[in-house]
Amino acid sequence: MSSEHSEIISRHSLLWLLLANVAILLPLYEKLTPWTMAICGICLLWRLGIFIGKVAKPPRYLVTLLALGSAITLALIINSIGLLNGLINLLVLGYALKYIEMRKRRDVRTVVLVGYFLIALTFINQQSIIYTLILGLVTTINTCVLVSLYHEGNKLKETALMGSKLIIQSLPLAALLFIVLPKLPPLWMVPQNSSATTGLSDQVSFGDIEKLTRSASLAFRAEFDRSPPTNHLLYWRALVMEDYNGKVWTQHKSIKQIEKDVQFTVSGRARPLGNPVNYSVIAEPSYQNWLYGLDVAFSDDSNISNLPDYRLYAKRSVDQQYRYRVQSYLKSPMSPVLDDKVKQINLSLPEASNLKTQAFANQLMQEYPDPLQRLNALMNYFNQGDYFYTLSPPRVGPQQIDDFLFENKAGFCVHYASAFTFIARKTGIPTRLVTGYQGGEWNQQAGYLSVYQYMAHAWAEVWLEGKGWVRFDPTAMIAPQRVLEGFDAIFQPESSYLLDSPFSPLRLREFPLLNKLRLSLASMDYYWSVWVLGFDSNKQQRVLQKLLGGVTKQKMSLFMLIAISLIGLTIAYSAGLLTFRQRGEQHATKYTQICNKLSGKGLERRLDEGPLDYGKRVELAMPSLANEFALFTQYYIALKYQPLTKEGQKKISKLFLRLFKQIKKKL
Amino acid sequence: MVSNRRKPGKLKQWFNQWLNSRLPAATKVTLAHRSVFILPSGFGLLWLTLVLLLFLFGTNYQNNLVIGLSLLLLSVFNTCIIYSYRNLAGMTISSTLSPQAYAGDTLVFPVRLYASQPQYEVLLNYPNNQIKVIKKVTNEASTSLIPFINERRGRVSPGRLKIESRYPLGLCRAWSHVDLDNEHIVYAAPLEANERLSHLDSEQDYVADDQGGHIPGVDEFKGLRQHIPGESLKQVAWKQLAQGRGMLTKEFQQPQGEPQWLSLTDFSPTSLESRLSQLTHSVDRLSEKGQIFGLQLGERTIQPADGEAHRISCLQALALVPAKPETRT
Repeated sequence: MSSEHSEIISRHSLLWLLLANVAILLPLYEKLTPWTMAICGICLLWRLGIFIGKVAKPPRYLVTLLALGSAITLALIINSIGLLNGLINLLVLGYALKYIEMRKRRDVRTVVLVGYFLIALTFINQQSIIYTLILGLVTTINTCVLVSLYHEGNKLKETALMGSKLIIQSLPLAALLFIVLPKLPPLWMVPQNSSATTGLSDQVSFGDIEKLTRSASLAFRAEFDRSPPTNHLLYWRALVMEDYNGKVWTQHKSIKQIEKDVQFTVSGRARPLGNPVNYSVIAEPSYQNWLYGLDVAFSDDSNISNLPDYRLYAKRSVDQQYRYRVQSYLKSPMSPVLDDKVKQINLSLPEASNLKTQAFANQLMQEYPDPLQRLNALMNYFNQGDYFYTLSPPRVGPQQIDDFLFENKAGFCVHYASAFTFIARKTGIPTRLVTGYQGGEWNQQAGYLSVYQYMAHAWAEVWLEGKGWVRFDPTAMIAPQRVLEGFDAIFQPESSYLLDSPFSPLRLREFPLLNKLRLSLASMDYYWSVWVLGFDSNKQQRVLQKLLGGVTKQKMSLFMLIAISLIGLTIAYSAGLLTFRQRGEQHATKYTQICNKLSGKGLERRLDEGPLDYGKRVELAMPSLANEFALFTQYYIALKYQPLTKEGQKKISKLFLRLFKQIKKKL
Repeated sequence: MVSNRRKPGKLKQWFNQWLNSRLPAATKVTLAHRSVFILPSGFGLLWLTLVLLLFLFGTNYQNNLVIGLSLLLLSVFNTCIIYSYRNLAGMTISSTLSPQAYAGDTLVFPVRLYASQPQYEVLLNYPNNQIKVIKKVTNEASTSLIPFINERRGRVSPGRLKIESRYPLGLCRAWSHVDLDNEHIVYAAPLEANERLSHLDSEQDYVADDQGGHIPGVDEFKGLRQHIPGESLKQVAWKQLAQGRGMLTKEFQQPQGEPQWLSLTDFSPTSLESRLSQLTHSVDRLSEKGQIFGLQLGERTIQPADGEAHRISCLQALALVPAKPETRT
């Protein structure tokens, strides 16, 4: 077989390889351990040295040694970085080491294929439009490496042109296949992507939410089938905290256990009754399992468990954008009948803590024996008292709630909700702390709600006889606008969520025009999430329905046939394989047209008659046409037989066509 | 590189017949859809495996972008089929006259190539022979010499020329087998004569006047002419080459003298081949010295003459002597 002939890798290819190497590894930096990065750096520098001609190729044993060393290191730390990350690092190391000891064309091909795989791995974490564009560029560079193998001695630009041409011309077919190919569910379980969790945490202390208010990143988006509920109803529930140790609120262990077993159990909660609000949520990766929903949320998604505390819980942690359907039954009660055990859990308090608050609770209980009245009085107490809502509350001592309630009188939602829950429990009403998000930014253009991390919120839920769990938000008493109009109505962005992110696009809100631009970009991102990242079999059905109007096998195959042949023809044409009309052919048909018209008038052109002879005959027979036809014949001969420059051709062709029209008119 | 892919006799025969009817021999061939074959290369299959792997990967992680990447790579494969066809289609290949060669030499068959649009890295070779790589074929015709190892004398046809390309990404192998109808007469391998004509090889210039003389000053050449690629290097005018006048071949002045006769019977009854070889050598020596000589080959007689044309007709006659000796002495 005549497979390989010249095995030496040209400098041209080496240059492209250098480019591709940097381009592929840079977007992966988040995933790499310092070790891997160091080895990649060494390999890159070495290769650069080889390229410049300062260093020789490394000896085989050194490469093997490096490979062994890094594999062992990886094996040691694989537990701390997770299986998938471990695999990514392993692949990157293999890539870097193979890269340095490349000798033959075959090695280059291997490196390129692994390069494509690394690009795919980058997509696990990075799915924004910008990243997709960047990685598209990286794919092109990687393809150029292959082109360069056959482009020795060509300019860098030519190779780049060819590589981009190949990719761009391949896009339409790829898009078609993307739309048409069936979207399959996962075929088997794969190691999960682990990363630092973001967003809410499963325990809350006074400082926690405050941190989130410093974050301008997106938590999730929601699109409602009809108009969304008003802002003060947008309580996105995520976590329920039932245990309090005097410092930290945590989930109860029974719920924790249910969460743990969620893979193996069937979702336990029945669908609530009534008219639901239908919407979809696109959750941003949080590397946590809890999802967001308005009360009372219920999801039919098989990957979501409806937990008994009325939360939605994903069976796999959300490690990439995740879109799910939710029905919320706003008027449906939560647990009208409460289990005694649960009641006890929601009444328990740490012993001998916050004694002042306890005394206050006892006093309240005496004044208002009716639970509902008592709760209202408590809410009023917050409203009437000189409490202050702030994102940077003063520090508290070990008796947190006492300090907050009677000393500082300034706090954030967690402070108020904690105090409220504490007092309510003390007075014998089952109460719990709920965290989630409150509000959302409405995007008019695309019609969806964006919820940012800084909208994180905490409130209380009280169990009332016959009503079930009822939401009480003491924060609304201190800062009603926070709930009615949202976070931005109360706080200056600069002092909260923009404090730590100087380049957040949310800064553009101040400038109406730029804000419009920001919202347009956000809409684009939203459509990207919905139509590309979230393109599933449902969407596919809808698109095909719209395209074909009723999907049948025949229609489908006809559509595919037409689309593929069109794409093939376009590529073939742009590759220079199809040339539609020979030069002069167009003129010949025009000329024959005139001849046919003339023959209709008795001036038939004989088969053996050249255009010149025929022209003379016509001129004699039809003097009125003589001048034009003489010129017409001349141009025709010139176009057909004379070697012309492109410009000359164009000029004469124009004159020829003008005459053609004139003669046609006269005839 | 040597092919180890041999088709079994019958199949190969059938294949050759099919090729002959599809791509008949011609001295000038323009490749088109009839003559270009395309199949995925080994790397192409590996590529498709990667596509499948990425698709599974994307499906398992429910990551549409990874699926998109895999589909893009699949689509690139499709695009490459078109481009690999384009890299051969429209290429015009024609054979030109081959330089003289002796049996045992590696023959070179000059092939002229041009294409209306640039085509990259085209590999040319005859079966079981070394590959010639042409980096770029443009619309300006260029000539390449395709080597062909040959041991035989007589009419030698190199067979079908394989034209192959893996451009642009190496995913597909596009190839064609063209028969350029460039049969070539290969002279017998020259063998130094040690019999009656041995004196011809001596450096003395004044031997055997009766055997067809030659005037002194034989080494003055008649002139210089353009060197034909592949021609014996013995006659190259090296001095002129060093002067930067290009590759030139020395042509010798025509001598005068009595004709000398060369004959198959001049030699002791060694094998026919060895006699032919010796005669070939003698013809070359005599021609080099500008002597007039005739050739007697069994029934065929070539009248004494001299000059390059005479030499060629003699050598060709020797080359074409049937392998089996005729029953004549």
